[in-house]
Amino acid sequence: MKLNGVSVEATGSLLDTVLAAGIALPHLCKDDNLPVIGACRTCLVEADGRIVAACSTPAAGVQECATDSERAVRIRRGVLELTAAMQSGPAGAAGGPRSAESLEAYASHAPRPGQYGLRSGTHADLSNPFFSFHEDACILCARCVTACQELQHIGAIGIAGRGHTARVTPGAGVSFRESICTSCGSCVAACPTSALRPKG
Amino acid sequence: MTRAVSSTCPYCGVGCGIVLNVDENDRIRWVDDDPVNLSSTGMLCVKGRFGTTFVNHPDRIQTPLIKRNGRFEEATWDEALDVVANRLLEHRGHFGSFASAKATNEDAFVQQKFVRLVMGTNNIDHCTRLCHSPSVEAMLQQLGSGATSNSYIDYEEASCIVLVGCDPGSNHPVIASRMRRAIDTLGTKLVVVNPRRIEMCDRADLFLQPKAGTDVALFNGIARAVLDDGLADVSFIEGRTEGFDAFVSAVREATVEECADLCGVAAEEIRAAARFFARPPARRGQPPELRPGSCLVWGMGITQHTQGTDNAHSLLNLALLAGQLGRPGCGVSPLRGQNNVQGCGDAGCIPDSLPGYQPYGDAAIAPFEQLWGAGLPRSPGLKATDMVEQIASGTIRAMYIVGENPLLSEPNLHHATDLIRALDFLVVQDLFLHETAELADVVLPACSFAEKDGTFTNSERRIQRVRRAIAPVGLARPDWEILCDVARRMAPGAGVDPAQFAYGSASEVFDEFARLMPQIRGINYERLEGEGGIQWPCPSPDHPGTRYLYADSFPRGLARFVPVRQRAVAEETPDDEYPLVLNTGRVLYHWHGGTITRRVAGLMEQVDTVPVAVHPADAAVAGIQEGDPVLVFSRRGRMGGKAVVTDAVQPGNLFVPFVKLQDSAANFLTNNVYDEVSRIPEYKVCAAKIEKKRERKGAFAR
Repeated sequence: MKLNGVSVEATGSLLDTVLAAGIALPHLCKDDNLPVIGACRTCLVEADGRIVAACSTPAAGVQECATDSERAVRIRRGVLELTAAMQSGPAGAAGGPRSAESLEAYASHAPRPGQYGLRSGTHADLSNPFFSFHEDACILCARCVTACQELQHIGAIGIAGRGHTARVTPGAGVSFRESICTSCGSCVAACPTSALRPKG
Repeated sequence: MTRAVSSTCPYCGVGCGIVLNVDENDRIRWVDDDPVNLSSTGMLCVKGRFGTTFVNHPDRIQTPLIKRNGRFEEATWDEALDVVANRLLEHRGHFGSFASAKATNEDAFVQQKFVRLVMGTNNIDHCTRLCHSPSVEAMLQQLGSGATSNSYIDYEEASCIVLVGCDPGSNHPVIASRMRRAIDTLGTKLVVVNPRRIEMCDRADLFLQPKAGTDVALFNGIARAVLDDGLADVSFIEGRTEGFDAFVSAVREATVEECADLCGVAAEEIRAAARFFARPPARRGQPPELRPGSCLVWGMGITQHTQGTDNAHSLLNLALLAGQLGRPGCGVSPLRGQNNVQGCGDAGCIPDSLPGYQPYGDAAIAPFEQLWGAGLPRSPGLKATDMVEQIASGTIRAMYIVGENPLLSEPNLHHATDLIRALDFLVVQDLFLHETAELADVVLPACSFAEKDGTFTNSERRIQRVRRAIAPVGLARPDWEILCDVARRMAPGAGVDPAQFAYGSASEVFDEFARLMPQIRGINYERLEGEGGIQWPCPSPDHPGTRYLYADSFPRGLARFVPVRQRAVAEETPDDEYPLVLNTGRVLYHWHGGTITRRVAGLMEQVDTVPVAVHPADAAVAGIQEGDPVLVFSRRGRMGGKAVVTDAVQPGNLFVPFVKLQDSAANFLTNNVYDEVSRIPEYKVCAAKIEKKRERKGAFAR
């Protein structure tokens, strides 16, 4: 296939092919340790004239893929403006080992601030001795939920509510400490923002 | 700027891959999982992820210490090593040594070489004595190899998993996750056998809750049901085993119903367990050409009894009877507790065999004597528990204990403390000044896993690299280097060539180990660097390693049935004065005795008091409510804890993890009686009573 005009070998998903070619592309809900989620839409690319999520589109059968077309970049910036609007908390809060992923996505796409109203949730859960959760930095990418459910098969955390009030929560109205969470930290390792932060 | 160092988790026997992210001040900032590691597949548990801060704890011993006039004084390495070497030379002939299943294969190998070659004795052992020695004894006898036969991937390819007397959710969390993955996504059946309802019971298809100490009755009952219902694997029995007839006649002495009466499990449930294990329904994706397999997995609930070896035999008999060995998706798994308990045994830190489980016969010992240039002792040494008991008779007068704290791990701690105190000379080599180290004459500071190179061997026989990530704390040194220094000082006096202890690196030590242990001959550091962990047996450099054992044959030729019969359930059973059964085990947030995890703040925040699980009926009798401070007594001691009122334990039973918190530990209560064959103590059953701690200040403040 042609990737940004250059011939490359198609491997796995479009995202796999793009990353294998050494091309940077945001993919905030895709963790190489986890199955495809397809929630964040930050990896949108143009494939044979259509805008698709690179993480969940098989590379086989695609003739031409562009990560750098004006249309793909513009739409990704729009998505990242929406994403950034989900984070009302202080920018640059220290996060976990993969929190730089969101910062790099913002840096490469320069989303314009103030395009959308900020999501207002500010719940913070400091109950776990090893990490804390900050709703004001969460982009609802569901990596933490997937790590808990599909990697560790614990299922301590989920997403409750809809729309603007959707939030990551460890069970119905309980804290991490009170939940069935075993503090394995796979959620913290997966988080692409500073929503889940190691303590200390 | 942080740097990332790939290594292996220092906690349980799962052997997860970890990536230590270290900052410029040599502090571990974050521990990441390692998706490439085939044992942990990108997972970690709380201890591996958040529990390694102990390496920089201020309690770390910084310098060698020599006790003078009852007080420790800081010393140089030369001073301390001279004292150790001189005093140990006087004590050749009544000496014993504990190795550490937390240290590396290289540490273990050098230690047993020192003990055998320089001290001239086979009195070397380690914590396997207290955990899986009955399993190893039974497996060596029946199969010819003392290791887990399958790999973790086999739990994900099994159609049925039977968990006996273990709580992987607490003690092997990543194995528990791999099992949950199979159960949730492939419909793998789960049978749990445990006197206590463990977390994995939430997913169990069948939960058998036998009375304490009745395992032989239960597993003979299951075997009887397999026979009665025609579920035995006749061709496997005929082609691969011996001793079947004697086994059958022993099993036929009791009906399923009679066994059910003995162990308190309904006959129907015994029959259901037999069907699940012998002929499980195929999981999703089970290859049609392969028979659906069952993994038989067990822990200390089987072994820590005065009939621990019989219990293990009863499990192995069942696996042979159903032919659940030697294929993908089945096998027998004693879950190993410590990071390197497999490797410590492999390296020969056991009293009854040389590295690689080779007996002391002339043929096996010859290559050792040839390579090491001196004669070696040929009679089996004392086992760990016997070494401690034999201090009383003067048979053992000096000990060298590396990375182990018997004064938390031995049963009946008051008794054990009196014995250790009676030693003429005690060297302890460790990270912290723990209960045993306090009694030492010389304490030597050892490096933690993060400060040295080496290898650990995990529960699935996978040898994996441990890599130095930070500089040694204080003057600490790797165990094998310290042992080499002691050995070289003593070598002339012992008639040994000092060059025998002149290794240039951990890699060199491993090469000698691999040369002497045929099962790992094909492994070296270069391969581990390129391929990651390799599973033994790996006899040659082009061998890929072995996923499961016994595909075509057993090391002893035919596997052997060993008939066993239920004996008295335990040495000490409840009576009027001590009406309850005390069972001991683990808790997720602590590690064994707690010497390490008590020094991790977050883990202490999770659990800072020993939880004492008591059934609501017994709690009501004693006027105890959830969260009450309680005292538990046995004939040997008492301990304090916090009541957890739960029907997860049966009426008449208490469950206490054996971690020491607030100076309270279950092993002050446990009974120092032993399984005849393996000499494991009966940690799992003793008679106890519980009462609510009275609100009083002063004298009772415990």
